[in-house]
Amino acid sequence: MKKKTIWQIVRFILLALFLLFAIFPLYWIILTSFKPVYELYTFPIKYWTNNPSLYGYRKLFEFVNFKQYFSNSIFVSLIAAFISTIFAMLSGYILSRKEFKWRYIVILYLFFSQMIPSYLIMVPQYIMFSKFHLINKLISIIIVYSGFGAAFSTIMAKGFFDRIPKSIEEAALIDGCNEIQSLFKITVPLMLPGLSAILSFSFVNNWNELFTAVMFLNTADKYTVPVGLYSIVSKAGIQWNVLSAGIVIALLPTIIVFSIAQKYIISGLTQGSLKD
Amino acid sequence: MKQRKFIILMLLPTILLISFIILYPTISGVLLSFKNYSIFNFGKVKWVGFENYKEIFSDVFYIDIVWNTIKWIFFSVFFQLIFGFILALLMKEPFKGRGLYAGFVFYPWAISGFAIGLIWSWLLNGQFGVINDILLRIGFIKEGFNFLSDPSLAMFSVILVNVWYGIPFFAIMILAALQSIPDSLYEAAEIDGAGYFTKLFKITIPYIKPTLINTILLRIIWVMNFPDVIYGMTRGGPAGSTEILSVKMINTVFYESNYSKAAAHGVIIVTVLVLYTIMYLKLTSKKEFSL
Repeated sequence: MKKKTIWQIVRFILLALFLLFAIFPLYWIILTSFKPVYELYTFPIKYWTNNPSLYGYRKLFEFVNFKQYFSNSIFVSLIAAFISTIFAMLSGYILSRKEFKWRYIVILYLFFSQMIPSYLIMVPQYIMFSKFHLINKLISIIIVYSGFGAAFSTIMAKGFFDRIPKSIEEAALIDGCNEIQSLFKITVPLMLPGLSAILSFSFVNNWNELFTAVMFLNTADKYTVPVGLYSIVSKAGIQWNVLSAGIVIALLPTIIVFSIAQKYIISGLTQGSLKD
Repeated sequence: MKQRKFIILMLLPTILLISFIILYPTISGVLLSFKNYSIFNFGKVKWVGFENYKEIFSDVFYIDIVWNTIKWIFFSVFFQLIFGFILALLMKEPFKGRGLYAGFVFYPWAISGFAIGLIWSWLLNGQFGVINDILLRIGFIKEGFNFLSDPSLAMFSVILVNVWYGIPFFAIMILAALQSIPDSLYEAAEIDGAGYFTKLFKITIPYIKPTLINTILLRIIWVMNFPDVIYGMTRGGPAGSTEILSVKMINTVFYESNYSKAAAHGVIIVTVLVLYTIMYLKLTSKKEFSL
């Protein structure tokens, strides 16, 4: 009995340490974003501030056009996430339900395209898009993000479809639905948690993408949030409270989306893309 | 016949989009690597054969970059695995507020690598960084470290941050696998009088081995291809001490504006990845890797 109590205490301490290690950086960046300038570079370092200041945030929205970056990012990330999720829904359904000769080849194709990282092909993409005169237009990165999203979302969607029993659709078919009707009336509603997980996951990935956006977008009115941060860092003499405010703003949507959809995203990842 | 049309119609949008966004640029990237396309050369782009590759491999620092990449992959994945495993084991038994706890310990995984790099470069700042302050206060060190400007510490620092970033992913994967182990296995072992570590090594680890193999091997690809954290912290510096293959490639684009040479870097990375993936598929049987 005593041994068990000691184990409980050790376990509690270790869990607390992991938690501290995970959240301390977040705490520190939030604290920094609210510190007044005169407390930023003082000794001893302050672990709390009694004079919270919005200076960092004000400066961010007044001198760096962060509002514009933010709305660009929302626009790009949401639209691309929707496009890739719809594509993934259609193709994931087929890959989960149908047997056909080149099914394995399609899956392998998706798998390998998922492995090509965005930064490796951003130059050829840039050259390709400049032929269409789409450089410095948000549409170009929407297309790129949709393509990258479609690859992994399809694999995730297939995993979710695999868990919905086929018999439900078969019953609908017997009742006189055609395949498309049974997909949209029966299966898709059951898939909603899965689809929202895929959508959220794509959104977070799009929101975080840096290198393609830096390459493709070159005027400040087109910047996304990561490109905005990148440009702030490139400027010499940036104050850490302003930059921290920018980082906090950049984190907000991902943390909100992640905390809402966490459960489903995780089950999608563990069941879909990596299956034992 | 109608069935076939249906299948093709449903798959076509995805296949076309991926071909356009990923396959075609990959092929044209390979072709680009044999040309001399750079910002100084737009007018007279021509075929130069293996010139870019020769240049890359004759760079005396290239071996350092390869070595940095190996260090980066090995230590990052090793510690991500160890700590992720421990975290998953700790979280296996239900406790009050586990869902909320998971949200807090897993969130780093949802943040952009670049932002994480920025956050930690502030925490590890040599003059005003809180990490130095904590280490000084607990008497662990006598003088502050220059984590990011000292070449001998920079690689250690970026790996530390990457470990922080990667623990949740391993923990998520391993936790999911742990929860699929039937309790009856443990009950039987307990009747035989097995202790915690016996159960760990005789039941838990063998049972989740497929997940471990898959996760480790996929993570190696991901970590190799992950310039974001380094880019937020050091951009490969100081003195190239944190320059890994992917960072080198991006620097070739952003600073040298030598697009063909960057493409050659990319082709080398993809080649390594393809060879590695073939090995991966051979190592893990198709049964374990069910597509």
